[in-house]
Amino acid sequence: MKQLHNIKKREVSILLTAVLLGFLIALQARSFEDVSDVINRNNRSDVFREIQILKDTNGQLRDEIDDLEDQLVKVSNNQDALDSVREEIDQYEALTGKIDISGPGLHVQISGDIQALWLTDMVNELLSAGAEAVSVNSIRLTNKTAGFDTIPSGQIMINSVILNEPYTIEAIGERSVLENALIQPEGIIERLQRSVNGVEVVVEQRDAVTMEKVL
Amino acid sequence: MEKQEQQFKKDWKLSAVFVVTGLFIGALLTVQFQSSIPSSTFLSDELRAQKDLIDGYVDDQGLLKSKIVGLRTEISEAQERAEASIQTANLETLKALKEEIGLTSLRGPGVEIVIDDGIFVNRDNPDTVSQSLVHASDLRDIVNILRTARAQAISINGQRVIATTSISSVGNTILVNNFHLLPPFTVSALGSPDVIMQRLNDPTALPDLAKRTKDLNIQFMAQSKEGILIPEYSGNLSSQYISEVDVTKQ
Repeated sequence: MKQLHNIKKREVSILLTAVLLGFLIALQARSFEDVSDVINRNNRSDVFREIQILKDTNGQLRDEIDDLEDQLVKVSNNQDALDSVREEIDQYEALTGKIDISGPGLHVQISGDIQALWLTDMVNELLSAGAEAVSVNSIRLTNKTAGFDTIPSGQIMINSVILNEPYTIEAIGERSVLENALIQPEGIIERLQRSVNGVEVVVEQRDAVTMEKVL
Repeated sequence: MEKQEQQFKKDWKLSAVFVVTGLFIGALLTVQFQSSIPSSTFLSDELRAQKDLIDGYVDDQGLLKSKIVGLRTEISEAQERAEASIQTANLETLKALKEEIGLTSLRGPGVEIVIDDGIFVNRDNPDTVSQSLVHASDLRDIVNILRTARAQAISINGQRVIATTSISSVGNTILVNNFHLLPPFTVSALGSPDVIMQRLNDPTALPDLAKRTKDLNIQFMAQSKEGILIPEYSGNLSSQYISEVDVTKQ
């Protein structure tokens, strides 16, 4: 009778241990799920980047408002009005590619058989990092530039001009910011080299990048 | 004696089972407490705070952008009032440049594309399959194709796309001109509807998007329209790094 009691006690202990074990295993599995969710969302770093981008943009918009307010005061004064208009014309002529421009920036050379989408993405990455002007194989990209087209031979064409390798992308802007945007871990260069075999990318900061006006 | 020995063996076996089980539980407990997972309340509080912060910035951005548009209009009006001293030729040059940059709203014939995440897809759900979401790269490809079709002006959800516009994503959020956009995305393009539609219908133009639309992952619709309105660019244009090349020094 005593032995029977002992066996029952043992069984109950084992049962309880098993239950506890099961509970722990389940809990553990759930935690792993949570961890993978957090990793998938890339939540933390992305949100901080998002907030940083918004903060910077709002700062730039405020600067623009200050400039415009100054300009408005000038325009209201007949004496300064003409100067202000000329200044504005100069600024817009530089932005639309009506004149030759120059400035510090980045020189990127890509050798390899790549698809047009990589050029689109590379240009976008530079613009996103604050590039003020971008050119591809010396063709300045403006509002009037056609997009990157792929002709049946597989070559990339822009503005009816076939682009030959190596592709050269130049950008005017804050050099280190532009460079970091491209070379950061999991950045565009890393992704490009992972996707396309044998692609070589050389990135150089330049004191002066010159872009010719658009004819 | 033999019975005792058997009992001893049995007890020893049982103890071994318990030791192994105990070790296993111990290991599990260790792993459990070592995984530094934020508790759910902490995570959701933090997410709410982050969302509030982002919403605040987005609201500010809307106000700042409308103020910029307002100021640019005021300047144009003041310039027209001061026309006598500015000279008409200068004003016309300025007007043409503004139109080219994208500082004026435009209306005309063109194509409107509406693109949305797959049906029943929740963008905020981390388990969502990325194939059924519209990505920034999809919008970039569409804009690129519209440019090859010589679209005169393009906007996405009312954000004017200009030469320096970036279309990027941060996590699942899409930023155009660094402005937050949410699906569905309406891409409007001014230009020849026939040329644009022909480009869009070319199966080689947007291969990835065409495949995902066919598999019903993405909703994509393009149609020609008569009176498409493209708003003016409302972001900043000031350039810190560009300078005019001095021709006399060359």
